[in-house]
Amino acid sequence: MEQEKRPGGLTALAIFNFIFAGLGVIGFIGFAVMLGFMDAIPTDDMAPDQRAQIEAFQEMGTQFFVAILALMLVSLALEIISGIGYLKQKRGMGWMVGNVYAVFSMVSGVVSGLMMKPELGGGFNIGAIIGFVYPVLTLFLLNSTFKEDFIN
Amino acid sequence: MSLKTISVAHVRLISQYWTRFAVRSGSGLVYLLIVLIFGLSVANNLISPVEFLMVQQEKEMGHRDPNAIQETIMTLGKPVVKFVLGTKSIGQVATEASEEPMMMMGPSMVPKEDKTEAGQWAMFLLQDRPALLSASLLILIFGLPLAISFLAFNQTTGDIQSRGLRYLLLRTERSNIFFGRFLGTAIFSTGVIAFLILTIVLYLGLKTRLYPVGDLLIWSIQGFYALSILMLPYIALCAMISACVSSQFLSLILAKLLIAGTLLFAVVGRFAWEPLKYIKWLLPWGWQNHLLHPSFTHWGCASLACLVYMAAFLMLGHRYFAKRDL
Repeated sequence: MEQEKRPGGLTALAIFNFIFAGLGVIGFIGFAVMLGFMDAIPTDDMAPDQRAQIEAFQEMGTQFFVAILALMLVSLALEIISGIGYLKQKRGMGWMVGNVYAVFSMVSGVVSGLMMKPELGGGFNIGAIIGFVYPVLTLFLLNSTFKEDFIN
Repeated sequence: MSLKTISVAHVRLISQYWTRFAVRSGSGLVYLLIVLIFGLSVANNLISPVEFLMVQQEKEMGHRDPNAIQETIMTLGKPVVKFVLGTKSIGQVATEASEEPMMMMGPSMVPKEDKTEAGQWAMFLLQDRPALLSASLLILIFGLPLAISFLAFNQTTGDIQSRGLRYLLLRTERSNIFFGRFLGTAIFSTGVIAFLILTIVLYLGLKTRLYPVGDLLIWSIQGFYALSILMLPYIALCAMISACVSSQFLSLILAKLLIAGTLLFAVVGRFAWEPLKYIKWLLPWGWQNHLLHPSFTHWGCASLACLVYMAAFLMLGHRYFAKRDL
């Protein structure tokens, strides 16, 4: 039986997963580097808003930083695995992991928003809404538009 | 093949199908993500400094200082308005921004009143209307035409390339396919714009509470109208390109080159020869900012211009599509 052709939208979703995972890797590395050099940044000559941000980072604590890094790592892994699953149209690796990624991203977004200070983008703001756009869209599309396309 | 072959029922059916399956094809998904992320990022960059100031004031003083907030909004909004309306170049705007005293360090100088038409227009956008929403809408008016080609480049070209239209032509006429898909694309684009503006306005109204709800509502309706009608000529241009070429990639590249290239050529070309600046009028680039003009005559004429452009591109595209080999 001829394999059903993968819809263009599913391919686009996989590509977006890889793009956001790539950007996430860069963010992860930046965050990890910041963890190492946070206390050494001089804040005396900075603008007030920048100083407030750096001071908020310094007050966060190492444990919290590590927790954020762990959440980012899990999210990246789920993104990459689900992206490969979309391309292969696999039910487990694509649809299941994709849904897990979407829910995990939304929950970790809420948790980060509640725990981080407003100076660092915590709380409810448009930045948080931007962070929710892709997971919500993924959840919606996997369970409606592309629901019947995971045939392997 | 004339317009008499158009069947409203067929056009409606094809447009509904096209709207519903835009995301499935990939182009709709790409457009949706680009518009939402771009639009919300623009709003975030404009709103977050004001929100930060409000948080700082509440922490230090226990209440908000409306004058300081208004000054920050004007500091953010003025360069955007001046650049997009074309009253200043980006270099001049950057120079002025670096020379202005910082808000936190003391009272700012009272700006000289600009009595030119452009100055009055800028004041209307920044003072008579919610300034943050005005700045967001102006940037969206500038940026969305560059994104529309991601949605509209493949209205007919994919099916032309795969020869799939032959099977559809057994059931309906070419005119119905051409106009139905144009309409479906326009409806999808309008829906995305509506969602974006609703999100920004709800945030400004419910979270920041900087502006009265009535003012936000009126201005958001005009902004939605401006963006929706602005997209029509660009979608029509993409429909024309899509009907003329047999390659999806070529259709996308041509659409991008024509839309962005026209503006770029006009901006850069005028340094070599001043009359080249009028090339931007080949597309709505020359008119589009007037969709947010205070005078009804201006934005009425700009709307009419958009519809004329749309009609011209659709007519040319339909004429070619009706006769070409599929």
